[in-house]
Amino acid sequence: MNPKLDTPQRPLPQGSARPGFENVVLRLIKGAPERLAIEAGQVDAIIDTASGTAILLPEAQRALIERKTRFRSLVALCSDWHWQQDEHHRFAARESAGAGKPGIDDATIIGKTLWEMPFDNMSEADWQTHRNQLEWRATFNDLELRYVDRAGEVRYISVDGEPIFDEQDEFRGYRGTARDITGRKRTEVLLQGPDRHARSALDALAAQICVLDPAGTVIMANTAWCACAVNSGIGTGVLEGDNFLAVCDGAAGNERTAGGAIAAGIRKVIAGERELFRHEYATDTPGGPVWIVLTVTGYRADSAARAVVSRETIAGRKRAEPLLELDYTVANQAPDASRQISRRISIANSLLAALPDAEYQRLLSGLEPVTLTYGDVLYAPGAPIRHVYFPIDSLVSLLTTVDNRRHALEVGLIGHEGMVGISLALGISVSPVRALVQGTGTAMRMEAAPFCKELLQSMPLQRMLYRYTHALMAQFAQTAACNNFHSVEARLARWLLMTRDRLLSNEFRLTHQLLAEMLGIRRGGVTTAAGALQKRKLISYSRGNIRILDRKSLEAAACRCYRIIKNLQGSKPAWPEAVSGRP
Amino acid sequence: MRRKKPGRGASGPAATTVVVMNLYIANNAPNSVQAVANIEAICKEHLKDNFKLEIIDVLEYPLRALADGILVTPSLAKLSPTPAAKIIGNLSDKSKVLIALGLTGKVA
Repeated sequence: MNPKLDTPQRPLPQGSARPGFENVVLRLIKGAPERLAIEAGQVDAIIDTASGTAILLPEAQRALIERKTRFRSLVALCSDWHWQQDEHHRFAARESAGAGKPGIDDATIIGKTLWEMPFDNMSEADWQTHRNQLEWRATFNDLELRYVDRAGEVRYISVDGEPIFDEQDEFRGYRGTARDITGRKRTEVLLQGPDRHARSALDALAAQICVLDPAGTVIMANTAWCACAVNSGIGTGVLEGDNFLAVCDGAAGNERTAGGAIAAGIRKVIAGERELFRHEYATDTPGGPVWIVLTVTGYRADSAARAVVSRETIAGRKRAEPLLELDYTVANQAPDASRQISRRISIANSLLAALPDAEYQRLLSGLEPVTLTYGDVLYAPGAPIRHVYFPIDSLVSLLTTVDNRRHALEVGLIGHEGMVGISLALGISVSPVRALVQGTGTAMRMEAAPFCKELLQSMPLQRMLYRYTHALMAQFAQTAACNNFHSVEARLARWLLMTRDRLLSNEFRLTHQLLAEMLGIRRGGVTTAAGALQKRKLISYSRGNIRILDRKSLEAAACRCYRIIKNLQGSKPAWPEAVSGRP
Repeated sequence: MRRKKPGRGASGPAATTVVVMNLYIANNAPNSVQAVANIEAICKEHLKDNFKLEIIDVLEYPLRALADGILVTPSLAKLSPTPAAKIIGNLSDKSKVLIALGLTGKVA
């Protein structure tokens, strides 16, 4: 039986002020102990033997009424309105707990069931589950419903309800409360999780983080972002309410290029064209140049897209790292911008670097540097190839899709050693694979038409590309066999090493989901394999950051395919090398 | 309002007797609330798990109280072990409750 919180049945109409009340009570109570207890004020109710009902004494009655009032005000505090439904679950009454509280209009609610109302987040199956609950006369809590109010704004309410029974235990309907939880839901969505401590968690982070609305206005910024005392380059001093995009667009001087790239990246993320955007840039501070990485991730809240921007100084991170076996250790040890830049220039594309000077100079007029960002799709399967790309420090993955593109498997990985769009060199202007950028960085890009023209004119370029095509074909073949025969762990190790070789970095960002797609396995398989490698201290993996700790042992853990693919780059040419390599 | 605390079976030779009691109250009226708190405290302290207490809200079940011969609430009726006893009031007088429940001998 449910506890009843209504006023008790048949209370005395007035308090002890009523004349003769004491006499009535004392007439009803004949026993001495009862009388003594009443006189001591220790009795709440007496039973009227004639009517078989309980009669509350005035004190108790007052207390209960006060309690009920208090209860009502508590209900009002924690809910926006209460409601009652009849036995057919149609709303019979709805009362706002306070003026000005948001809610659904009476006109639209009375006489209707919940499922007849314009809530848009419940499927027919969800409503059936709810109706079953009602049929079982179960109490329901936190039924979250979404609707669009008259102002066109998306709102959420949370509804609690319990069944009501009359004295004969007959079901009489439901009653309950509802709260407008739009604010909470928005915050939840903002924080990408139901954790209401997330905001304070964000504040506790050292990384500078802010959230942008679709227009680029900062709607939330954590403490680190707000307190950013050192110059963090673009967007320093942009606080809640300011427009980050406008600041990027308006960046001047040295920051103009970076500002434009960041603004474009954020717009792509907000438009949903890309999940993640990373941009590294240098900024001058009184203490010297500082490298900063800006990461933008997108998500959809309500119907609007938002972007989370985080800013970190890489110099500090790099300094904190133990000495790793990096190809560019020296360049990385000192937070010296000029060395950083020289490193960037020295890592050119191997194919371009192998061209004779004259050929290279001719090609150069058609080449333009572009930033490829993580998540960019350069070609879709079957789509025309508009540009060819020579990655410098970016990484592009070639994926074959099956089952209406539901599943994808990586067949090739291209970095500074190769070219993306090799089909064009073979006379085919349509890409058979999807080319997805895996590592943000720069590349040299050339339009398809001038490239084809150059190719026809330049024998060295042809030879070089044929050799490269051979290497790529062999990589495809080896990868296909590897995916079929080798263990997930060995394949993961191979993939990490290949990525390392191409990015020239022992550290990169990868999610489980992406790795699973690359290797054509389930996410669980990635977790196990990555866990095993981590346990052997070959890699460290946390929150999508992978770091290779022991390259040699990782090579030992990888399948032989890694060596085979790596050696392909140095295959002996059938034609005599008539050209000298560029230094 | 009805709450039941099932007494567990005999756990030790000295405390094998399960005390069965009914407490009649009037919803959340002040004396009733006090009585519930007092009896719960006494049971916890002196009876451990060897008791069975049923709380009956007379506003919901007036006829039950009438049938049990209860005229006012709060009232505590000890049903077993015999002799039966009845205490009226908010049970704030702990010694009186202990005597009525026959627990005086066990109190130090």
